[in-house]
Amino acid sequence: MGTLGASLNIAVGAMLTDQAALSTTSNNIANANTPGYSRQTVDLAEVSPVEYGGLLVGNGVQLQQVVSQRSSLLQTQLDQETQQQSKYNSYLGSMQQVQTLFNETSGTGLQSSLSGFFNSLQQLSTSPSDTSLRAGVLSAAQNLAQGFSSTAANLVSQQRSADMSVTQSVGQINSLTAQIAQLNGEVSTATSTGQNPGPFQDQRDELINQLSGLVDLSEIPAGNNSLTLTTTGGANLVVGNQSFQLATQADPSTGFQQVVSQGTNITSSINGGALGGAIEARDTGIPAVLSSLDSLASNLENAVNSVNQAGTDLNGAPGGNIFTTPPAGGTGAALQMSVAISDPAKIAASLDGSTGDNSNLTAMLNLQNQNIVGGQTPLNAYANLVFQIGNTVSAAQSEVSGSQALVQQIQNQIGSVSGVNINEEAANLIQYQQAYEAAAQVAGVINSLTSTAINLGHSSGSTG
Amino acid sequence: MSVRLNPDITPDLLASIEQAQQNQQTAIQQMSTGRSVNNLSDNPAAAAGLVGNNALSSENDQFLTNVSDVQGKLQTADSALSNATQLLTTAITVGTQGANGTLSDSDRQALAQQVQGLQQQMLGLANTAYEGVYVFGGTNVSAPPFAQDASSSSGVQYNGNSHVTSVQIAEGTSVQTNVAGSQLFLNSGGNVFSALNDLANALTSGNGIAAANTEVQQAFSQLTTQRITYGNGLSQLQSSQNFLNQEQVNLSTQQNQLVGANLTAVVANESQAQVDLQAALSATGQVLNLPNLLTYLK
Repeated sequence: MGTLGASLNIAVGAMLTDQAALSTTSNNIANANTPGYSRQTVDLAEVSPVEYGGLLVGNGVQLQQVVSQRSSLLQTQLDQETQQQSKYNSYLGSMQQVQTLFNETSGTGLQSSLSGFFNSLQQLSTSPSDTSLRAGVLSAAQNLAQGFSSTAANLVSQQRSADMSVTQSVGQINSLTAQIAQLNGEVSTATSTGQNPGPFQDQRDELINQLSGLVDLSEIPAGNNSLTLTTTGGANLVVGNQSFQLATQADPSTGFQQVVSQGTNITSSINGGALGGAIEARDTGIPAVLSSLDSLASNLENAVNSVNQAGTDLNGAPGGNIFTTPPAGGTGAALQMSVAISDPAKIAASLDGSTGDNSNLTAMLNLQNQNIVGGQTPLNAYANLVFQIGNTVSAAQSEVSGSQALVQQIQNQIGSVSGVNINEEAANLIQYQQAYEAAAQVAGVINSLTSTAINLGHSSGSTG
Repeated sequence: MSVRLNPDITPDLLASIEQAQQNQQTAIQQMSTGRSVNNLSDNPAAAAGLVGNNALSSENDQFLTNVSDVQGKLQTADSALSNATQLLTTAITVGTQGANGTLSDSDRQALAQQVQGLQQQMLGLANTAYEGVYVFGGTNVSAPPFAQDASSSSGVQYNGNSHVTSVQIAEGTSVQTNVAGSQLFLNSGGNVFSALNDLANALTSGNGIAAANTEVQQAFSQLTTQRITYGNGLSQLQSSQNFLNQEQVNLSTQQNQLVGANLTAVVANESQAQVDLQAALSATGQVLNLPNLLTYLK
């Protein structure tokens, strides 16, 4: 048999437990829109029964623990997909800028100045001794050289801005890993002392997701809900409550910043996040375009020069270079492209030495149809470059929209586990409210019973 | 218990609004530019095709300019040769008059002077220039090709060369733009200057007038034959011009096929996108305004 005092304790215990449950519900509703918040549920349990006269009597309810509802598996999937999405987003950002330099659909690009150069030669072939037509060839050649060099200069400045975002990303990574390391410590302390590490995990997961937007990660569980973070290439970022800073260091040959971890250059192993995308654009995407442009420029310059050298100029002298000799191997040819002559007479239109002969111009015009640029005609090589750029951007766009859809799907899955549902919380609220009211009612009844018991034997006492 | 869903539906709703907006933007861009390909990435193959198409079209324009430039030169040369044949016709008439045995010496002298005048005019025609370029000097175009030379049997000296030039007037097609002056005026099959010189000398001396006149007739038929090259060139230019104009139409049709927008489809896309956007907006507004359980708590 229990005592009235025990019953009162049970009722008060229930009220306290319901209060805690109400407070959890209230916290859930308060954080319904907090990014990264995982809804919490209360874990209620019976208090161990007590023995009264050989009988086990129930002893009320107790709050076992408050649990954050989370799936670390889904969180890891989200992080990984975020790494892909951010990488392609950042790569796409750079390559879209590259694409606008070659936007032939709106008339920007090199086709018009390439055609302009050959057209000026066509025009000169109708009257090879005409000085104004010769000046026209020189200005078309200058136009072409300027087109190449300004396009190349634009590409280099795209590379530089990707390089700047490398430095920025590394700074952001360092600040995030420092915060994550600290939270990692709090998570393991809370876990080891039996507390709910959920709120710390929520914050840590949110920061790890932000970190995933910057760099590709491996998340390795390390006991007590602690996580070890490394780049997928294996460089340590966070171990326990310690973070490892990344540094940047200029490459002496290119001047671009390399990412260094503990003295090791890990640039080429970074393959995700905004950092990975910027590195790919800077070190692979843009250099590929530059090198095609260099090859087109240097082959064209060399071919035009050697045809001009085979002819005779307006003064009867052997022809020289029209374009300045491109660097051997072609690297930098587009950027440095320029016209070597300013005297229109030096265009060697003639083969027989007479001023009216246009045979050498015909030879120069034939370059249009010769495979002088890596086995292709100059225009086909250029069209191919345009195709490659368009294709690169379009592929990156598909990657971005694909991973965007996946991220959204994973976020929905995470929401289905961790998201706060107002209806559900409202139902809990009613439930706990009613339980609290019931327990309070019980306490009131016990109180009145206690009074009855105390007043037993007094005539003025109530009968009952 | 039923499957728990993500209680936060806002991102999905916003994504559908964004998608509809994007579709609308694309349609509006295609309408305003008239092109379905506005970035290389919209259709890389079409963009690369456009490079070739634009280059051909630009080359085509240049060929049309070449045609009209060459036309001017050929017309100048042809009309000079037409005048030259008229001079020879006059010379033949004069020679026929001179062959009449009843003429007095002074009459023949007068005729000889007339022929010398024709010689001078012929020299002027042989030194015809078009825009500062001598058209009958072969590829020596900077100086007059013919100069008077009393020591020569033809009375002139040729300073040009025998080279011919040609100019491209369409992809793979060239037109010959000159016949060397030596071929026209000093041809062994009928030498214009020698014939005129011989006629003038014969009229002066009274001997061999008929033979000289035959020479002039041979020169006339030779020059007429050589002139055909110019006539052919001019008709080649005309047909090339027709071809290039047609080609221009073909190229712009091709360009439209590559990157042009199908306006009917684009307009339909635009109105579809507008409907989608309205639907997405109204759905979002309604869903976000749905009451929840708390609304009913008193």
